[in-house]
Amino acid sequence: MSTLAVNGVEIHVQVMEPADGAVWEGPQDPPTFVMIHGLGTDSLASWYFTLAKPFSEAGMRLVMYDLRGHGHSDRPPTGYQLDNFVDDLEGLLAGMGVTSPVHLIGNSFGGTIAFAYALRRPDAVAGIAVIESEPATEAWAKKMAHNLGRAAKQLPREEALNWISANRGRRTARLARAAGKMLSSTTLAQDIPASRVLSEAEISGVACPVLCLYGENSDLVVQAPVMERLLPRVRTVIVPGQHHSILVEMPDFVRELVLTWLREDCAVAASGERG
Amino acid sequence: MSADQAKILADISEMLHAILDDDGTDLQITMDTTFHEELEMESIDLVALAGRLQARYGNSVNFAQFIAALSLDAIIELKVGQLVEYIEASLEAAKADAPATPDPAGAVSK
Repeated sequence: MSTLAVNGVEIHVQVMEPADGAVWEGPQDPPTFVMIHGLGTDSLASWYFTLAKPFSEAGMRLVMYDLRGHGHSDRPPTGYQLDNFVDDLEGLLAGMGVTSPVHLIGNSFGGTIAFAYALRRPDAVAGIAVIESEPATEAWAKKMAHNLGRAAKQLPREEALNWISANRGRRTARLARAAGKMLSSTTLAQDIPASRVLSEAEISGVACPVLCLYGENSDLVVQAPVMERLLPRVRTVIVPGQHHSILVEMPDFVRELVLTWLREDCAVAASGERG
Repeated sequence: MSADQAKILADISEMLHAILDDDGTDLQITMDTTFHEELEMESIDLVALAGRLQARYGNSVNFAQFIAALSLDAIIELKVGQLVEYIEASLEAAKADAPATPDPAGAVSK
């Protein structure tokens, strides 16, 4: 297993080089894609078993990592504000010697990290694709406080786990148990809602191409018009019949959308504009 | 089971016990053991196993290609024996490609 010490935390990272014989067909250089997973029970495996192989066969270089506290990365007891995760991403890429602009793809909270990183390091980001995600706003922080507070209270309870096991299956119960353990052994549930948030004016400053995917039946779908209004170079796609798990449910569909976006929307940035 | 398979199975068992250390696996690992249901390994643990196997066997075996080709459903069904057979076939193919050249990484033992 390969890990890198970043900000005092061992981060589990997996790099997948372009597949043998793969040729990138876009007009720009083959992109380095940094893949950022979501909160709780998620890990880099969500990318590894969905988009990694097809993207590497399309000629891209992939960097997948486990967020602090998740997967096989270290789990410090504190330090889970959004800026801590952005620090980790910045430190990880610096530690790996990645100097040219990267594309970021983020699922759920991973997309929230991607927006924040694109604002902190506009020179280092060539484009961001987010799935079921939104930038960190005051409304986001309030929602996260509610959801994480409820999870932190319920998940460590044996009765709640038994209910999940009976109604949602053993696998979900096992994941819920792991999430409960994370929430009871770290300050994540308190730290995330206390993160520094962005104003609409700040969000408008994300100048790179952005692709936003939302499930038609997800509560996040209301973000689509907001992103259209705020971001100068955004393409939004609402996926019919889907909820929050678009990546796992429809990896082929996501792959085609992202590849098309890379070739069409991101080509301009590579040949013309700053960054 | 061939002698090569038995040796590969022993290697994998050792790595699995290391990965699953605090879960107390008294379980005897066989070709039919399932990663998910019996070993209670999540998909992320399988990624970590692939990293260890790559370090052990070097470039003769492409684990990223084998593991990442699995769908999330296929992972739930995956048995230790499938991995053993893939490794054996890859090592055979590598031997056939370069019969006279010793493995530069020294990773493949006879």
